[in-house]
Amino acid sequence: MLVLSRQRDESIMIGDNIVVTIVDIRGDKVRLGINAPAEVPVHRQEVYEAIQRENIRAARLGPGDTENIGRFANRGSGQPREPGSR
Amino acid sequence: MRLTTSRFGRIEIDAGDVIRFPSGLPGLEDCREWALLADSSNEALGWLQCISRPDVALAVVSPRRFVPDYQVRIPRSELTPLALSDIRQAQVVAVVGTTGASLTLNLKAPIVINVEARTGRQVVASGDLPLHYELTPNRQPLRKSA
Repeated sequence: MLVLSRQRDESIMIGDNIVVTIVDIRGDKVRLGINAPAEVPVHRQEVYEAIQRENIRAARLGPGDTENIGRFANRGSGQPREPGSR
Repeated sequence: MRLTTSRFGRIEIDAGDVIRFPSGLPGLEDCREWALLADSSNEALGWLQCISRPDVALAVVSPRRFVPDYQVRIPRSELTPLALSDIRQAQVVAVVGTTGASLTLNLKAPIVINVEARTGRQVVASGDLPLHYELTPNRQPLRKSA
């Protein structure tokens, strides 16, 4: 791993269009500012990994697991659209 | 196009109904094309079926239908790739999961679909929202987001 020392208000560049700036340092907490193109997703790692795990688990569900979900729903609109019902 | 899925058997999908997820989904990065199917027995439920992987499908619901006080705030940077010209083009769905014997909703990372452009993206909402919001007959209060 590349390790760089930076002070407050200093930045590093990743490639030619991602800039990470040290915004603030307080105790053991560092605040980072990240400038990246819109198509580059930026996430806190632990949040992203939790979402990955959740999606993989959720992708194993089948209609047998969800058959009772209707009893938790409120009546009214808002159901997912059917294909073609644009 | 015709698709043979592990859950729903053979289904017919109109090419115009395919929803493209340019970044895939976290954990399912190779799944770029999906179709939103209605559940045959439950009108509150839909299924996002992966086109390239017949065994991959996600149960999805409109979160407001289950959590009336759910207010999702999404950073602008998360929505930019969807190129929504009007927020009314956006359809927000939450992925259904399980915890133990209970069904849960992923309120932290809803899926936003640009209905006009047929593109989608799973976003990370701002604030303190649960990844596993448990569905119970007695509704749990949703923690206020920070």
